[in-house]
Amino acid sequence: MTPIITIITVLAAAAVAIFSNKKKQILLSTTILAIVGGLSVFSMSLPVLFQMSSSWSNSVWLMDNFSALMVSLVAFLYISAAVVSVRYIGHEHEEKIISIGDLKLYFSLFHVFALCMLLTVIANNSLLLWMALEGTTLSSTFLVGLYRKKTSAEAAWKYIIICSTGISLGLLGILLFGYGASIGGVTGGDIFTLTALAQNAHLISIDIIRWAFVFIFVGFGAKLGLVPMHIWLPDAHSNAPSPISGLFSGILLNIALYGIIRFRFITDLSLGSNEWTGHLFLFFGFISIVIPAFMMLVQSNYKRMLAYSSVEHMGIITFALALSPVGAIAAVVHMIGHTFSKSMLFFGAGEILTNYQTTQTSKVQGLLKRAPFTAILFLLGILSIIALPPSVLFVSEYMIFANAFLLHPFLSILIMIALSVISFAMLRSTIGMFFGGNENEQNQKREKWNITHSVMTLELVIIICLTFFLSSPNGVKFIDLIARNIIYISK
Amino acid sequence: MNPILATLLQGIFVLLIAPFASGLVRFCKARLQGRQGASPFLPYYTFATLLKKQMVISSSASWVFRAVPYVVLSTTLSLAFILPLMFVGGKLASASDFLVVAGILMIGSIFLVLGGLDPGSAFGGMGSSREMTIAALVEPIIIMVFAAMSFVGGTFAIDGLVGQPLVFAHPYLLLSVFAFFLVTLAENARYPVDNPATHLELTMVHEAMILEYSGPYLAMLEYASALKMTIFAILLSNFIFPGTVIAASSFGIGALVLAIFFAIAKVLVCMGLLALLESTVVKMRFYRMQEFMSIAFFTAMFGMLIALFASFVKVDIQYHTIFAALSVFFVILIFGRARAQVMLRYYAFSSFCIAGIAFGLSFVVEKSEMKHLWLFALVTILIKTILVPIVIKYAQRKHKELISSPSFLRPATSYFVVVLILGATFYIMKHTPILGMVEFDTLLYASIALIGLGLATMIVHRNIFSQILGLLIMENGLTVFTLVTVKSLPLLIELGVFVIIVASAFILSILGSRIREFYGSSDTEDLRNLTE
Repeated sequence: MTPIITIITVLAAAAVAIFSNKKKQILLSTTILAIVGGLSVFSMSLPVLFQMSSSWSNSVWLMDNFSALMVSLVAFLYISAAVVSVRYIGHEHEEKIISIGDLKLYFSLFHVFALCMLLTVIANNSLLLWMALEGTTLSSTFLVGLYRKKTSAEAAWKYIIICSTGISLGLLGILLFGYGASIGGVTGGDIFTLTALAQNAHLISIDIIRWAFVFIFVGFGAKLGLVPMHIWLPDAHSNAPSPISGLFSGILLNIALYGIIRFRFITDLSLGSNEWTGHLFLFFGFISIVIPAFMMLVQSNYKRMLAYSSVEHMGIITFALALSPVGAIAAVVHMIGHTFSKSMLFFGAGEILTNYQTTQTSKVQGLLKRAPFTAILFLLGILSIIALPPSVLFVSEYMIFANAFLLHPFLSILIMIALSVISFAMLRSTIGMFFGGNENEQNQKREKWNITHSVMTLELVIIICLTFFLSSPNGVKFIDLIARNIIYISK
Repeated sequence: MNPILATLLQGIFVLLIAPFASGLVRFCKARLQGRQGASPFLPYYTFATLLKKQMVISSSASWVFRAVPYVVLSTTLSLAFILPLMFVGGKLASASDFLVVAGILMIGSIFLVLGGLDPGSAFGGMGSSREMTIAALVEPIIIMVFAAMSFVGGTFAIDGLVGQPLVFAHPYLLLSVFAFFLVTLAENARYPVDNPATHLELTMVHEAMILEYSGPYLAMLEYASALKMTIFAILLSNFIFPGTVIAASSFGIGALVLAIFFAIAKVLVCMGLLALLESTVVKMRFYRMQEFMSIAFFTAMFGMLIALFASFVKVDIQYHTIFAALSVFFVILIFGRARAQVMLRYYAFSSFCIAGIAFGLSFVVEKSEMKHLWLFALVTILIKTILVPIVIKYAQRKHKELISSPSFLRPATSYFVVVLILGATFYIMKHTPILGMVEFDTLLYASIALIGLGLATMIVHRNIFSQILGLLIMENGLTVFTLVTVKSLPLLIELGVFVIIVASAFILSILGSRIREFYGSSDTEDLRNLTE
């Protein structure tokens, strides 16, 4: 089974957006073709994920448990972002904020961007993985810079320069992996195949693989948003249209981490233990949690606050990966939870922006009266992202800290303090938006329930269901099947 | 018997073809300018007509004036017989010692200068003084070029130098050949040094000296000039393709036909290329002549230095090493420049050198990978040297003003940063264990240096255009790294990489021009609206 059907469907959606000039046609085709594409991906990945069929790989594509999980998440977010985009961008076009040319550009790039993301997680050829990842950067630049404003252009510039530089350094790492394998005796195209590299990892020389992994970590880490390479992230995620911000924070950061994890597994097999890589993950994870905590205290823009929260959560996942093997399971759970929570929050932020036309927190007042559905869902999203039970992020953070207090007590205390600071900052901004406002704003139209709210509710329900499932022994076993021998080496 | 015949026939053939060569340049230039152009055989008729005309000689001219045409023509004639133009190993071969040849050229130059001074006219004096300046600057270059070649070839005689395949075996002599090419342009009064077809006296150098001559004397001087150009052209081609010169000992009808065929081909190609060069390049201002000569001298000197280095350190320098050094050199030149066009041009040259690395590598690896490397070199030239600059210029066509914003550091400090990076790269490579495992050490050093220099371009220069170029230079460094370690990637992957490079150049240029629209300048320090 190859992903050909998915590729054709998504490319067809992009083609309709390029060649058609009628807004209704583009919006309708986007919705239908996104759902078809997502379903085709589910038909490939869900059987493998739920153990109904076994994982398969050939020289180009790889579908094992972890890939199946990631590609299902990408497909789900693709469908939901497409649905939200149709409502959001359609509304902006009606309000004459963007022109029809911009709408066509948005939808064509949206599908290409989603296709590149899908290809990255199921690629077995490391160079194909690199090309698809670079493709996500290139196709999303003009999505970030969609609005004709100074700030959009600046955000897009920082995004493409830093991410392209990082991904080029990642290519250096991939080439070093291939070179190390070719010296060790692996022949032909196998030096760029992930499964073959994992099988022959013991042949690769230790010095080369250390350099190779450092380059991949730094390079893909820039795309991931690890401090200190995160300076593009708040700008890009806050200036992009909200559905795109949801996609960025929700899944694109996870995809960059997916690349690092795949190569980390090969490195650990070659080095024999995961201590050396663990140190890298520990250090960068720690500072990626602490630095955003300080930045969030001074945020005056709610979308930027959400972006810094993404940096922090990526830091938590990285820190968790340093604590194998329990940390690996917690990291996967956290990845799933963060995807659903953060995308829900960004979709809600888009609704707030639609109502108030400003991203300044101080100018948003009386949200509870004016847009009650958005307000409640947004608040529930914030509560789930700061890991309040019954959020699934609570399950993962519980697992992480139960382990971390044993191994690194001092660091864990500092991280807990940082997390408390973050919760305080986010709640203060959010609650400040709910109340207040003047009485003469009563005659503004009250908001109606629209499709975005349905999507957000669906994600909230998924989060709560996942909490109960993943905290049960069956759930832990399920995640362990994903992580075992793919993320951590089982003894 | 054979060498004497060979030398005689070579001399007569060159004498006969010289006017045709001069006419051919004029003809090709005319065609390139869209004109019909006079027939290439016109100079024969011109000389015949000039010989029949009456001479008018100024009353203040002395015997020097009358002697000059004879001296100049005789020196050039002797060169036609001595130098190995069609045959090598002729009768007069031992007289082609390069110091003797340089001296003969000098005699001709000096007497021409005296001939310009003698009638006492203002323009003649001006032409003579300019010619003497140029000759003084050209002399060291000739000596340096031939000294490098003699050191490598082991013989002082030019005849011996042409007889061996020097340039192919020692690629650094390409630098000497390039310097010799610049000397050819200077000695023969061609663009960009002098304009042979000008009628404005203030722009003349060579023409001003022969301004007072008429009739047969003028015919002799112009014929000598055409002869010298033919000789230099054929000699230059002989240095690059020594296989086209026939040994005089194997003289026969077949050899003669082959030699004549090769000589005609060389004249045609050289004169065509000269016409193309003259139609593309502008003539330099006279005060910039010293820059031109300095470039030629330093190129010749580098050729000599590398020759000395290669022989004392017993290192075998091959084509890919030279191209790697050249690609890093062009990137270093980008650092001191502020104009976008110039930086793009140096990037195109650097990418061309990377294609040259692939081409040079193809001689060293097994046959199966040779075709792949040639294909890679060809696609690199197409995409990186031609397509990417076009794409960038197209995306910025709405903003045609010169982007000359100041860089973060002044040029001198920028070059210092370059030296720091090169030194740091060398130090890192000496201390990491990867060095011993790779076959081509120089290429690895060049690739890491390119990546470092690309990063530095992005950080040091706060110009949007420099950041785009820095990214492209980094990707060039990665390409060289691929050539070193993996030697070849699957074809589809390479095509994908090239598409990504072109797409990123396009996207970056459009975004850059949009930023310039919004902010009014291309200074990235202005991008400070989102700070917290």
